[in-house]
Amino acid sequence: MPAFRGAGLISRDSLTAWLLVAPAVVCVVVLFIVPIGYVLLLSVTDPTVSLDHYRRFFTVPLYANVMVNTFRTSLIVTLACLALGYPLAYVMARRDDALAVILLAAVGLSFWTGFVVRTYAWLIILGNKGPVAATYAFAGWGSPPQLLFTSFSSTLGMTHVLLPYMVLALYGVMRKIDPSYMRAAESLGARPFGAFRLVFLPLSLAGVVNGCVLVFTMCLGFYVTPILLGTPKDMMISQLISQQIEDLLAWGFASAIAVVLLACTLVLLGIYNRFAGLDRLWG
Amino acid sequence: MVRYVPLVLALLAAIFLVAPMAIIVPMSFSKAISFEFPPPGYWTGYYAQYFSSHSWLEATANSFIIASGSMALTLIAALPAAFGFVRHRFYGKSVLNLVMLVPIIVPAVVSALGYYSFLSPLRLVGTHAGMILAHSVLSIPVAFLVITAALKGFDRNLERAAMSAGAGPLRTFLWVTMPVLRPGILIGALFAFLHSFNEAVVAIFIAGRDASTLPKKMFESIRLESDPVIAVVSTLLTGAVLLGVLLSLFVRKRPASR
Repeated sequence: MPAFRGAGLISRDSLTAWLLVAPAVVCVVVLFIVPIGYVLLLSVTDPTVSLDHYRRFFTVPLYANVMVNTFRTSLIVTLACLALGYPLAYVMARRDDALAVILLAAVGLSFWTGFVVRTYAWLIILGNKGPVAATYAFAGWGSPPQLLFTSFSSTLGMTHVLLPYMVLALYGVMRKIDPSYMRAAESLGARPFGAFRLVFLPLSLAGVVNGCVLVFTMCLGFYVTPILLGTPKDMMISQLISQQIEDLLAWGFASAIAVVLLACTLVLLGIYNRFAGLDRLWG
Repeated sequence: MVRYVPLVLALLAAIFLVAPMAIIVPMSFSKAISFEFPPPGYWTGYYAQYFSSHSWLEATANSFIIASGSMALTLIAALPAAFGFVRHRFYGKSVLNLVMLVPIIVPAVVSALGYYSFLSPLRLVGTHAGMILAHSVLSIPVAFLVITAALKGFDRNLERAAMSAGAGPLRTFLWVTMPVLRPGILIGALFAFLHSFNEAVVAIFIAGRDASTLPKKMFESIRLESDPVIAVVSTLLTGAVLLGVLLSLFVRKRPASR
């Protein structure tokens, strides 16, 4: 928040301010924070009042594997998004021509298209009657490896789905880097890569942090893509929650897992908030 | 040569983003019953099926009703809140500012579980009202951030000029403040609409049969029966987004800064 400006024009009365913010704050508290409280409550009361669900989650090796797999997958997806997104955002931010507009449109198209639609595309591509399989048959390589319903397809799908978030986070910061800094570095004798490494890269790091935090936390609890593309053998947290509810109707245990997921997310974002301030995360 | 490395990498990333979505278009005209590519033959039969299917059309209508409703509710809540936070100082401001962001911090599965257990005793699961409430709370933070950003960039001297020229507070607000803020508000509204329109997880948990939206119906069709109409719906949705993106590029020039 910037310093308060324009004192005297509009009343500084706190009452006015509270009336203005009340509808939104009441909505969020009553319709969001209270329901989250229900999840917490359910996790220690369903079916009986106890901490058994948490004890079970933290002692059974299967669930530890799910946690490890979730964090590992999220890390891979985040790094893949960064590797793919950095050059894309760099070119978008540094150019001012038709190409930059086309790239922005491509990112916008995928950003605004729903997760289900984009996940569906991968079901076709990686399916056993899809283009990859057709290429294998055409080239005479025999039957293709099992691609769909593996942790590979789930990781690939999530990278595709979350990439626009990374690109926009990077782009938001890179766009504000004054191009004259790079020209200054080059006119002082830096080679293009040197100018990039010593000037642009450090200035873009805020975007890298934003993009990584955003993608990693989104990935931790990601629901649609792992369920449609992944395998129950290498479950992520969201798949475990879905399985507990749909197959076993174990709402209490599912809620406990959800609380653990929420706690992980909050710890990560809490660290970010301490260093950067949370409302910068979305640019 | 080295100069072109970023460009080539950027183009590859852009192709990775867009190319998979392009495959949906031929699939929607395919005669195949399951996911088969390249298609064995082409027809428009599944388009006819979509436009004559009661359940798909109902899901489409639900999506529009719920997205419009939650867009309206989101604006009603977020717009005054943005004014409150940007233009006033009050007790508890920094805490409440964090509270406003909570709905986008919490993973969707967790919110969905919460909504289900909170809305079912109120008999709001499987209703449009329940979906609109749930989706608008999820959209409030984003609309709030967008409108707040627009409001922070607003030059208060414009209002002072209007007031010193004799306009009252209401007139100033309607004729000076709102027109300048309109792009920010429109973007906030668009975010809210599309967020609801695309949202799947909360819908899967609480929309039930009667308020089922397109993403929920698609998700379930993909899991259960692989209805080829999914390709038609996907193509129509992607086409609509593409149209919107192209329009936005033609209508307004690149904004000066974000």
